[in-house]
Amino acid sequence: MPASKRFLHPEAIGRISRLDLRARHIVEGFLSGIHRSPYFGQSVEFLQHREYTPGDDLRHVDWKVWAKQDRYYVKQFEEDTNLRATLLVDVSGSMRYGSGPLDKYEYGCTIAASLAYLLLRQQDAVGCVAFDEAIRVKVPQRTRRSHLNAIVQALSASEPREKTEMQPILRAAAEVYPRRGLMILVSDLLVDRAGLSKGLRLLRQHGHDVIVFHVMDDQELDFSFNGATRFEGLELPQHLACNPRALRAGYLEALGNYLDEVRRGCAKDGVDYVLLRTSQPLDAALAAFLSHRQGKQRD
Amino acid sequence: MPSFVNESFLWWGLPLVGLPVLIHLINLMRHRRVKWAAMEFLLVSQKRHQKSILFKQLLLLLVRMLAIAAVVFMVAQPLVRNQWGAIFGGSKTHHIVLLDDSFSMSDHWADTSGFDQAKAVVARLAAQAGHQDTPQIFTLLRFSRARRLARGTQPDLLGEPLDANFPAHLEKVLGPMSTSQTAAEPQEAIEAVDRLPPKPQDEDRVIYLISDFRANQWQEPVALRKALHQLDEAGAQIHLINCVDAVHQNLAVTALRPGPGTRAAGVPLLVEVSVRNFGTANARGVSVSLEEDGHARPAIVLEDLPAGKSLTRRFPVLFTTAGEHEIVARLQTDAVAADNSRSLVVDVPKVVDVLVIDGDAKGQDAFFLSTALAPGGKVTSGLKPIVESPRYLRDHALDSFETIYLLNVARLDPGEIAALEAYVKAGGGLGIFMGQLSRADFFNDQLYRGGQGLFPLPLAGPAELVVDRLEKSPDLEVTDHPIFSVFSGERNSFLNSVVVSRYFAAEKNWNPAPDVSTQVIARLRNKAPLAVEHKFGDGRVVAFLTKASPLETSLGSWNNWGRDNPSYVVAMLEMQSYLSASRHPDTSRVVCTPLDVPLDVAKFVPQVRFILPREGGGGTLSVDAAAAAAGHSAVLSETDVSGIYQAQLTGTDASQHVERFAFNVTPEEGDLHKIDAGQLAARLDGIRYEFHQAADIDYNPQQLAGFNLSESLLYCLIALLLGEQVLAYACSYHPSAKGGAR
Repeated sequence: MPASKRFLHPEAIGRISRLDLRARHIVEGFLSGIHRSPYFGQSVEFLQHREYTPGDDLRHVDWKVWAKQDRYYVKQFEEDTNLRATLLVDVSGSMRYGSGPLDKYEYGCTIAASLAYLLLRQQDAVGCVAFDEAIRVKVPQRTRRSHLNAIVQALSASEPREKTEMQPILRAAAEVYPRRGLMILVSDLLVDRAGLSKGLRLLRQHGHDVIVFHVMDDQELDFSFNGATRFEGLELPQHLACNPRALRAGYLEALGNYLDEVRRGCAKDGVDYVLLRTSQPLDAALAAFLSHRQGKQRD
Repeated sequence: MPSFVNESFLWWGLPLVGLPVLIHLINLMRHRRVKWAAMEFLLVSQKRHQKSILFKQLLLLLVRMLAIAAVVFMVAQPLVRNQWGAIFGGSKTHHIVLLDDSFSMSDHWADTSGFDQAKAVVARLAAQAGHQDTPQIFTLLRFSRARRLARGTQPDLLGEPLDANFPAHLEKVLGPMSTSQTAAEPQEAIEAVDRLPPKPQDEDRVIYLISDFRANQWQEPVALRKALHQLDEAGAQIHLINCVDAVHQNLAVTALRPGPGTRAAGVPLLVEVSVRNFGTANARGVSVSLEEDGHARPAIVLEDLPAGKSLTRRFPVLFTTAGEHEIVARLQTDAVAADNSRSLVVDVPKVVDVLVIDGDAKGQDAFFLSTALAPGGKVTSGLKPIVESPRYLRDHALDSFETIYLLNVARLDPGEIAALEAYVKAGGGLGIFMGQLSRADFFNDQLYRGGQGLFPLPLAGPAELVVDRLEKSPDLEVTDHPIFSVFSGERNSFLNSVVVSRYFAAEKNWNPAPDVSTQVIARLRNKAPLAVEHKFGDGRVVAFLTKASPLETSLGSWNNWGRDNPSYVVAMLEMQSYLSASRHPDTSRVVCTPLDVPLDVAKFVPQVRFILPREGGGGTLSVDAAAAAAGHSAVLSETDVSGIYQAQLTGTDASQHVERFAFNVTPEEGDLHKIDAGQLAARLDGIRYEFHQAADIDYNPQQLAGFNLSESLLYCLIALLLGEQVLAYACSYHPSAKGGAR
């Protein structure tokens, strides 16, 4: 594991209290680990030359420079600045659960901040919506780098509570941000499935690219509890005292069915779906995002 | 209801069975709280698996409770009786100990003996059985008493409860107990179990046969096997316990009896003594000490007595006075003492009456025979010939005569024939000589009667033995018959000089029957029978087909045997001994057989005073005479000790009359060869029993009371624990390589 990656683990990130610093740390650490520039776009406006490194696309090699200097340089162009990204961050009560150094809320906010930093750095417009059963905080889309602070403040101020109502939220987001852009949903998706599906479909119908970061805790995915346990719902009023070992198989089966259903629904609507464990390094979200962007640009 | 070795632990341990329930309840109370987001899936799982989970958990709880119960019961060691009947309600164990006290059990080595070992085993069995919680009763029956149960004798202990006082009581019973001198067999003891009080429904019987397992008793144990099989089928546990583990050297006096010859005062009598070596090594220089009427006489020394062999020696005794005389033979001490001595009582009359019936009034034949039997002068044969006519047979009782001779008899009337036949049938000896008066028709029709009478052969009539001067062989050819055995070996010139001129020929083609009742014991030169022996009833008949007298008759001289030929006297005395032998049956009695003394109440007071042998501690015992079919008699049952028993009869005139009886042990009991466990198993195939060595008898209480379930519970526990593991695995969480949901 590269040294830079070591600091992208939730244990390391959890020690950084400020969200903007976290975002910066993650993005810079992530970028230092890749050889290619991830975010220089495909516009026709030339920006600069950079010495070729293995892995660069050969199409971008400036052969004229090579003919003159016998050295390989690649051409870099200004990225388009017309991308409008909106971060939809779930801050409902269910996001408060976490068995590791970061709970789902912290993990989701960190991802959102990191993406915002990354996007602002390449001069895209980034907005943010924090929601539970209603939109709690709304940050308009801006391209200024200083806009990151507004986003980070909005996320930090959104203490999780209430339950999630996904369909009205997504409808509202579509209305708030009518121009087509990129909708990045960060949530544990413990919501009404039909509402989720309808909401995502609505976003797609409005012409948005949608990427879903499904944040789940390890315990939620593995359910490795032992001993008599009383589970009390974070959003729902129910509670259940049981031997979790006995219920594990049924739980995992039900969860697996749910995840499959979500995956199928996303694929059906052309929504990119990324399942993230809170124990995973945080750059996974960035890698998934960039992979998504590359795919879109090639389309 | 089973009993428990550690019952107290049971009451401490049983509450532990509730431990899994308690732990479960505590866990329910101590559950941790988790704020959980994905309740939806948890509730789905709980709804779907609620019943199966509850069932598995209850099953797991039950298995764990059973496992703890199994541990508790295993430590408590429950006992159940081996029989199914005991399992379903048996509540009492009856320990029946059959103790072999035959004299072979006195076999001693080092500082112990087979019987000492047996007594120790009995004590150990009782002590162990006494530790049981269920009711235990104890019966002890010696072999020697077993045969008397039918006569009302009780076992040494009968159904005694095994309480705190029992060990002391048993010690009192066992302490003075010693071996008997009987040869009591295990079969009698086993059969005696049936004579014990009937077995109640709720009683389990454990039979212990404590013996030395001598080979001669178990060689072909048909009846013994049958008796054991019946016990086995009746549901009794059978334990065979061996108390002697090796064969020791043992010599025994197997016989002491009078030899052939006239028993009369002043007449030397040969007595035979036989010694057998029952050991496995040859015995050298075996000294047999002898006593004659309480006085020691020179011992007999057997230089070499091979293992397993028997030697017989004769020694002469001379009783100068009439009456009963005692002879005792003793060996030196060895492993078994009871068979080292043997006693004999010989009744010696002053003279022995012999009846001589001469058909000729001249009495020539009687003269020669009487002279041969009782020569007179200083020489005494002890015989007193009484010469009478045939009519005497009809008119007088014949029982008092040792032997009867018929000489030259022409005919007898039916009454005389009947008396004579009754005498011979009762064991009398009859000698017959033919003569000029004898008629073949009479002998054939009245005495031979086609083989049914007392005469040994059918006669054709008088015949002459033709003189052949070229013939060198003697006229008389004898066999090895006891009458002529004295002439065997070196050729006897006196016998060769006998000349027979006339004789009664047998019917043509007559040959003695294949059986041994008739045999030709002497023939003439022409192979014609001259002397023929015939067994008739219990008695013997010897017929000489020529005259007893050598004198001339109207038909001429019949033979010259009685004239100046010593062999005649010898042969007549030998014939007398032979014929009288059947009048002296073996009077030796075996210990433990009742002594029946008949008495005439007209002459004697109906009470007999018995003086017991010195070897058994002496003492006297008075027994009243009781009326029986054959007259009054006094019966002494206590004849457990070998030796001389005296019966004192008091006459109505206050006179004293003493009769002596010798009681001896059964010599075969001294054969100490043993049967091993393998041979025993082969002979008792199909019978359920356990064979133990006395040294190994250190039973655990549970072995005595029944079957200990601890081992079975251990297997149950292992099965329960395995089941618990499987069930727990099925109910529990096990992370797999695949992990959780993706």
